[in-house]
Amino acid sequence: MRRLLLAGLVALAPLGAETIVIQNATIMTVSKGTIKNGSVVVRDGKIVDVGEKVMIPEGATRIDAAGQYVIPGIIDCHSHIAVDGSVNEGSVSVSSMVDIKDVINPEDIAIYRALAGGVTTANILHGSANPIGGRTIVLKMRWGKDAQSMIFEGAKPGIKFALGENPKRSGNPQGGRGETTTAARYPATRMGVEDVIREAFNQAKIYKAAWDEYNAKVARGDHPLPPRRDLKLEALKEVLEGNRYVHAHCYRADEILMLIRVADEMGFKIRTFQHVLEGYKVAKEIAAHGAGGSTFSDWWSYKVEAFDAIPYNAALMAKAGIVVSVNSDDAEQMRHLNIEAAKSMKYGGMSETEALAMVTLNPAKQLGIDNRVGSIETGKDADLVIYDKYPLSDYAKVQKVLIDGTVYFDRDKAIAEQAAKDAGKQKLLDKLKQQNQTQQPTGGRRGGRGGESL
Amino acid sequence: MKRLVTALFLIVATVSTAEPRAVAIRNARIVTVSGPAIAKGTVVVRNGVIDAVGENVAIPAGAFVVEGEGLTVYPGLIDALSTLGLGGASAAAAPTGASGRGGRGTQTTTVTTTVPATPAAPAAAATRSMGPEDRPQTTSWEMAADEISPSDSRIPNVRGAGVTTAVTFPTRGIFGGQGAIIDLITGEKPGEMVVVPAAGQYIAISRGSGFGGGMGAGFPSSLMGNIAYIRQIYLDAGHYQAAKEAYEKDPRGAARPAYDRALEGVLASKRILLPANRVVEIDRILRLAAELKQPTILYGLLEAYRPEAAELLKKSGTPVLLSLKWPELPREIDPDNEPTMRSLEAIDKAPSGAAALKKAGVRFALYSDGLEQPRDLQRAVKKAIDAGLSREDAIRALTLSPAEIYGVADKLGSIEKGKIGNLVVTRGDLFDDHTQVVWTIVEGRHYKPVETGPAGGRGAATEEPGGDR
Amino acid sequence: MKLLGILLGCALAAGAAGTEVILIRDADVYPVSGKEMKGVSLLIQDGKIVDIAPKIVPPKGARIVEAKGLRVYPGMIDSGTELGLSEIPSVRDTVDAGELGEFMPQLKALSAVNPDSDHFAVVRVNGITSAMTFPSLGGRGGGFLSAASGERQLIAGQAALIHTDGWTWEDMEIKRCAAMTIIFPTLTAAGRRGGMPDIPLDVTPATVSGGIANARRVFDEQIAKLNDFFDNARRYEQAKAAKEPDFETDLRYEAMIPVLDRKVPVTVSAGRANLIHEAIQWAKKQNVKLVIMQPLEIGKAGPELKAEDVPVILSRVLALPNGEDASYDQAFTLPAEAYKAGVKFAFGTFTNEFVRNIPYQAATAVAFGLPYDEALKALTVNPAQIWGVSDQLGSVEKGKIADLIVTDGDPLEIQTQIKHLYVKGKEVALTNRQTRLNERYMNRN
Repeated sequence: MRRLLLAGLVALAPLGAETIVIQNATIMTVSKGTIKNGSVVVRDGKIVDVGEKVMIPEGATRIDAAGQYVIPGIIDCHSHIAVDGSVNEGSVSVSSMVDIKDVINPEDIAIYRALAGGVTTANILHGSANPIGGRTIVLKMRWGKDAQSMIFEGAKPGIKFALGENPKRSGNPQGGRGETTTAARYPATRMGVEDVIREAFNQAKIYKAAWDEYNAKVARGDHPLPPRRDLKLEALKEVLEGNRYVHAHCYRADEILMLIRVADEMGFKIRTFQHVLEGYKVAKEIAAHGAGGSTFSDWWSYKVEAFDAIPYNAALMAKAGIVVSVNSDDAEQMRHLNIEAAKSMKYGGMSETEALAMVTLNPAKQLGIDNRVGSIETGKDADLVIYDKYPLSDYAKVQKVLIDGTVYFDRDKAIAEQAAKDAGKQKLLDKLKQQNQTQQPTGGRRGGRGGESL
Repeated sequence: MKRLVTALFLIVATVSTAEPRAVAIRNARIVTVSGPAIAKGTVVVRNGVIDAVGENVAIPAGAFVVEGEGLTVYPGLIDALSTLGLGGASAAAAPTGASGRGGRGTQTTTVTTTVPATPAAPAAAATRSMGPEDRPQTTSWEMAADEISPSDSRIPNVRGAGVTTAVTFPTRGIFGGQGAIIDLITGEKPGEMVVVPAAGQYIAISRGSGFGGGMGAGFPSSLMGNIAYIRQIYLDAGHYQAAKEAYEKDPRGAARPAYDRALEGVLASKRILLPANRVVEIDRILRLAAELKQPTILYGLLEAYRPEAAELLKKSGTPVLLSLKWPELPREIDPDNEPTMRSLEAIDKAPSGAAALKKAGVRFALYSDGLEQPRDLQRAVKKAIDAGLSREDAIRALTLSPAEIYGVADKLGSIEKGKIGNLVVTRGDLFDDHTQVVWTIVEGRHYKPVETGPAGGRGAATEEPGGDR
Repeated sequence: MKLLGILLGCALAAGAAGTEVILIRDADVYPVSGKEMKGVSLLIQDGKIVDIAPKIVPPKGARIVEAKGLRVYPGMIDSGTELGLSEIPSVRDTVDAGELGEFMPQLKALSAVNPDSDHFAVVRVNGITSAMTFPSLGGRGGGFLSAASGERQLIAGQAALIHTDGWTWEDMEIKRCAAMTIIFPTLTAAGRRGGMPDIPLDVTPATVSGGIANARRVFDEQIAKLNDFFDNARRYEQAKAAKEPDFETDLRYEAMIPVLDRKVPVTVSAGRANLIHEAIQWAKKQNVKLVIMQPLEIGKAGPELKAEDVPVILSRVLALPNGEDASYDQAFTLPAEAYKAGVKFAFGTFTNEFVRNIPYQAATAVAFGLPYDEALKALTVNPAQIWGVSDQLGSVEKGKIADLIVTDGDPLEIQTQIKHLYVKGKEVALTNRQTRLNERYMNRN
């Protein structure tokens, strides 16, 4: 009955919306098991049907995925691509007034390359130079669209915190190394990192109280002068009110615990711990707080605080009941998050679905967008990736990527077009070189309009 | 005999500033810009103002007469964005400096012959900002009109290209201050040059890059920091205004708002100038301008040739200043480090941006962006003409359009009775390669172009700064 | 039984080359040098593979490892590491690669290797049994002070081929001087980023400022210096051979002799085709054997590499393309390109942290066009040949050193587990600080 109703709706749908059916594939839905030989029907940017047998609407474009696999679009919970200018505003300890949303660069080639690696959504973060960094945003990798069109509609905005060595670095400038000695910026120790965060929230509470008082007066019909809007404190006020997610970069167990206690004290929740390489040591406490953990698959030893990192981290945290995602924090790494997810099968014995969830449904949950993405279910966005082989194998290649039901990446096309692109570029370069040569140099010639006699 | 007389006058004119009260160009082709060209006519300027223009016009006795046979008269050119008359050529860097300035400086494509990065203004480094409230990168109260130096050596130079008027801005920091529209007369009192003392607030945006975010001169050190900075200042200005008004209405018992000259400067500006070169930046800055609710002019516009740019600008109705400093292919191409396709396209198509804007109906003016040698200016405009901009539109983009954009079209920008007597007289069509500027007339004073040295033009190739990641 | 267990434990704990006799029974052996052999047995004795046959009678005292359904492969070799020389890259005190000095051929990576570096146990667990460790990778020569001193290092020292297990560096030594590391001057700046959080990875030599003409001039100057040094070394060798009366030992030139005699190759990191060409021409002139490291492109350089028989060590396959306009999979297809061009190559990871992922790098190469067998070779027999130890290592053959892994599947596939690891015929426990931390905290949660 539902099928008929759906078919009816489909028939009435407005013209011009592309309808696609991906056929004969192994569909790993993540939330509802794996369908061995099935199809996905996409319409108006949404998944309208999934199953072994589906009704194929008239006029649907068929993608034959025989022998291939379909998974939900990969979600990278920690990325710095598509940002114009520096990803850090490192000049001050608290930079919550700055916003990644202001500097989205939709023409960053990293977006296309991420697509080619199966990523359809990414959490674009401020860097880790400050204990409290800037505001963050979730983007879909809609290559070719403008900045606003890349923003994931309705995704709650975030803010980046950073603990440990990185925010301390500005407090310990490396003078005498041939670099200019810049003045130190507080904090220089983990103690100071905690203090900066607590103090900022202290100020935020005072700010919030002023605004609450103002709003109350207005509600009563008064017309007082509003308090000065302070962008820095406003972001923290939003955190206190639960309207902005906190994504906290952290490594060591002590600082993870520290932030949980500060959050408890100040009355806010940490949404995700990022990197959280020692999360396995305080998994209990993280789980109790309710924060998610977004970590690397197996990076370690590049910094002192990464020396106790273990590739079992994701599995251990997951077993403790934490929602765990595996992220990239890197434009190259994000191109093979499927492989990184697979590593938790090797280290930690996660099942195939658990592993896949770490780069699909789990990051979706962490970002509060799991009503829209993260699994292949009817009603969700048609963000899909087609692999030529088992997606959790390092032999697999991305063939096609759909976002909102539109094909944004097609490997065959990309390969076919490359030669023409190269030729076109060479042609233009040659033309410009030639133009350069035929232009007369001005050196040696008389400049100006010269005093020609009448 | 006449020739001898005029020659004598010419000799006198090159040296002194003793001015007859009237200037007339007789029997020349007159391109008025505001109307159809007059094939053979006369223009009379009297007391610095255009007194008469037409086919049959009486010339007052004692006028300095230019025999216009074979010559063309145009309105004096207006450089819509410059630093002429301010602080000497290097100190207040041209609006195109690599960092901390607007114009070409904000582009990511590294196609231009690079300019060594100008550091943040030395004065700013003295006190490091800890947030927007400190505002050491704001000198919004500064007025170019207060700092004009008539002896700026660049002025006679650009006059030789036919430029009579410049909109000159202080460009230090983020909020540089208010620009002034000045006529390029070599007078004694700087105030004589100022046509409009408050032309708008110049805002520059610098980028920072990569994982940097160093502290340097303080906040802000990143592009997003710059934007947050600007946003916060306008929030503060609004709040300041409201607080002042509330206090004036009833000061009794209320806390007195402190005087803030930075906010006063921002509030006093009737329009702002913001940089935008790439389509991504145009999109971004238009949104910012809409948010700030300020009348805005965009400057730079390197990617004006792209259809997205024209579309965005058309929709918003924002006027723009298009830089004449077209990007160029580096002399040597490193085979291991070839320019990107994107930058090659910019080099190829940038000059066609002017025609593209015209076609889309976007209001635009051309500006020198630091090009000072007449030859460079002429060549740059010619490039735009070769790339599809009609000569009429090119001339308009340097005369009536900038006048309209700055709201002074009642005084400047065309040859009409009553407007200020700014003219340029040429042998040949303006902007052609072999055309010569014969006279430049500014507020009725006539100037002969000074012959510049052989160094005119592109100048020495600049070094590429060492790559450093 | 318990006694046997204790004895086994002792055997596992006891060091030095395997004194144990081990019989691996009923395994599928993949020699790499030949076709696979299903259901055979393999006998390890005195650190070597002494027999491979369908049925082997275990000698007295031999430990039997039942390996039905499991596979035996040669241990993998990473041809580009700083293992033992660098613990935490961001902490200078823990890094012993990148010495000061312009010409330092006498420096030996081997004797600075810390056998207890935590990295060894970590990489072993994924099947890497030996590695080339370099005195300087890709131009960081001079360490943190090179910029200030103004000197640019040209010869970094002797790279060593080592086992990833041993009590001492002597124990770990396979070849003390397997290659002479040269830091070739650069023509320009070109290189990929990617693969590391927070700290940008400096893969390529420092850039040259001042335009291309200037870069060329500086390049030529540096080459001239290098040539002078080689000439002096040659003269030294002649004087030594002729037993000249005023001959004095010079440790630097001594170190050069095997290079001049073509017994030891020089390694040069050269990314782009121009530089590869320069390096090949230079090596020809100097009459030394050459190995090119970390090429970023093969296309243009391929024919010359093949013609001159110059092998390459490929850097990480999972890397970004060269430049905005390159194909997105340019780095992924590089190994296949090398193969098609007839260039011999081996894999290297060029960062200690990623050594354990070398099999997965190889798998990506296979996904993008490299034949599987070639990928396996590039991890085993090829590096053994390139580093001149193919008589001892690189394949599962009688007489070779017993560097072996026993797996439950394809070693290039992520889900495959390594069940047993043998270095010089001794079984090494598959534990490291990470497995121990895992166990410890498993108990807490």
